[in-house]
Amino acid sequence: MTAGDAHARARWARRGDIGLRIVAAVPLAYATASLWAMAIARLLPGDRAEASVTAALIALALCAVAAMWAFAARSGWRAIWTLGVAAAVAAAITWVSIDVTGRV
Amino acid sequence: MSKGFRQSQAFLHTWSGLLLGWILFLVFVAGTIAFWREGLNRWTRPEIARVEQPMRVLAGSQAFLAKKAPDAKSWIIPVATERSPGAQLFWVPQPKPGEERGRGRRGGRGRGDTQVLIGADGQVVQARETRGGEFFYRFHFDLHYMPVIWARWLVGFATMMMLVAIMSGIVTYKKIFRDFFTLRRAKGQRSWLDGHNATAVLALPFHLMITYTGLVTLMAMLMPWAVVANYTDQNIVFAKLFPTAAVVERTGRPAPLIDLRRIAADAERRLGAPASFIEVSDPGDAAARVSVSQSANSMLSSRTPRLTYDGVSGRLVWRSPPPGAAAETAGAMIGLHAGRFAGDGGRWLYFLCGIAGTVMVASGLVLWTVKRRERLPDPTRPHFGFRLVERLNVAVIGGFPLGIACFFWANRLLPVMLRGRADWEMHALFIAWALAAVAAFVVRPARVWPALFAATGVLLVALPVYDLVATDRGLFASLAIGDLMIAGIDATMAVFGFAFLWLARRVARHRPAAKRVRKAPAVITARVLEPAE
Repeated sequence: MTAGDAHARARWARRGDIGLRIVAAVPLAYATASLWAMAIARLLPGDRAEASVTAALIALALCAVAAMWAFAARSGWRAIWTLGVAAAVAAAITWVSIDVTGRV
Repeated sequence: MSKGFRQSQAFLHTWSGLLLGWILFLVFVAGTIAFWREGLNRWTRPEIARVEQPMRVLAGSQAFLAKKAPDAKSWIIPVATERSPGAQLFWVPQPKPGEERGRGRRGGRGRGDTQVLIGADGQVVQARETRGGEFFYRFHFDLHYMPVIWARWLVGFATMMMLVAIMSGIVTYKKIFRDFFTLRRAKGQRSWLDGHNATAVLALPFHLMITYTGLVTLMAMLMPWAVVANYTDQNIVFAKLFPTAAVVERTGRPAPLIDLRRIAADAERRLGAPASFIEVSDPGDAAARVSVSQSANSMLSSRTPRLTYDGVSGRLVWRSPPPGAAAETAGAMIGLHAGRFAGDGGRWLYFLCGIAGTVMVASGLVLWTVKRRERLPDPTRPHFGFRLVERLNVAVIGGFPLGIACFFWANRLLPVMLRGRADWEMHALFIAWALAAVAAFVVRPARVWPALFAATGVLLVALPVYDLVATDRGLFASLAIGDLMIAGIDATMAVFGFAFLWLARRVARHRPAAKRVRKAPAVITARVLEPAE
């Protein structure tokens, strides 16, 4: 392997990594924030409309934090799977909660 | 904080800021101008008199509607204030048999045949057709020439990236407090960085607030999932968050409508604050209802209380329940964003912070090129991406203000009888901007920057002069009658005009120097080619 090959490979690896981070920062960050909006709206006690508004207010900030995390994580793959796990947890909470108590 | 974390955030800050910076610049400029929306609504109609007796306008509105649309389904009458040009009222005709009820958005555009402006004397105003300050308010989140829903998603996405850029910028900028007052002038990249930092940090609380609350204004569209999680039908939650009095069926029995001034006076007494909107449903029918909402200028939250009266007897039949804590919080955030609660001093603060935000975005965009030019292999022949960013910066930062100056001139010069006049005012903006963009891509940036700034400056300085000569609402006439709003707009345009001229001169002065050192090392060439420092 020549030095040029190694250099080119490193450059493509970096591009791939950034591509993964963009996927994590835009669609995945939004999906994660949205699922947490649902989970928080389910978990908050009291009036349902109030819980929904509070959850949406929190989720907007969560979305920005998730996008930051996508670039702060050690690698692009790590950003993807950590956000994926966070999204899955929220989805599970929401699904179980709706299954148990239903919606208005 | 680890070095790697800061580096990753610097990368994020640079690229999220660059890719959406041009849209953010437009949104910032339009939003900043929109803080003077009411004033501009008057400034763009110099022929109309100032409202001194709002109740006279209300009486005139009722008289007009009783004649023009006695059988309407509803009338919507804004209560005129000393800040507004009058009452821009509109009515919704009875749906024809077979037609779906309540179709189409009320108050949307293209309702020219069901709306009029009632002036200070209570008569229909014969003023030039214009969107006035409303244009900037709408453009701030609806943009133009594109479906509203796309525009809002685009602006919402850009706003989210703005929030990300601000938060990652705070992390990136480690010496945030030490460098707070540092401004190194005429030092190339360092000066651009200082300028970017100064405008960002100085107004940082404002930027964070305006960005996050901007997202809250679009929350129902951006983040409907919290509602979906709890409700099978979104209408239920909207009915709960924005409650209205129970709808009464039209009886078909005619009954005279009460004098709306009596209702307004009673509502203002009960609310302890001015009223803003009066909505009359089924006027002239025994089942008529009159709803009055409190003025958003009188309170922080945008969730203004409402009262509903029986339209015949004038009896209070309903008052809106106080909103819950979360709804009130969201309402307060929207109120903070729009700044309607702010008096003149507060509006100035909003306006200045908006300018700081605009300069922050613009300097950030320029900084991207300044930083990279020094690292280019051959600064005289930059690569495609660099040239694209450089030219887009000229087209947007230099071109959009020129377009706005042309909008104001179109408002003054287009013939009053021109069909679609209000549209042509807006077309004028975009035509001028398009021409500027073409120039930006054809001519060297070092020439286009000063040319665009100078043209904008001349146009803006000339506006108050034109007002002085050709209208009877010139600066001194406005001052003489104590109309500080109109005088202030004229004066502000002049100040901005001189600022643009100063900017143009600074940028232009660097050109001869650039030629002289054309063969000098890349770093020096890069500095002197840049516009203002």
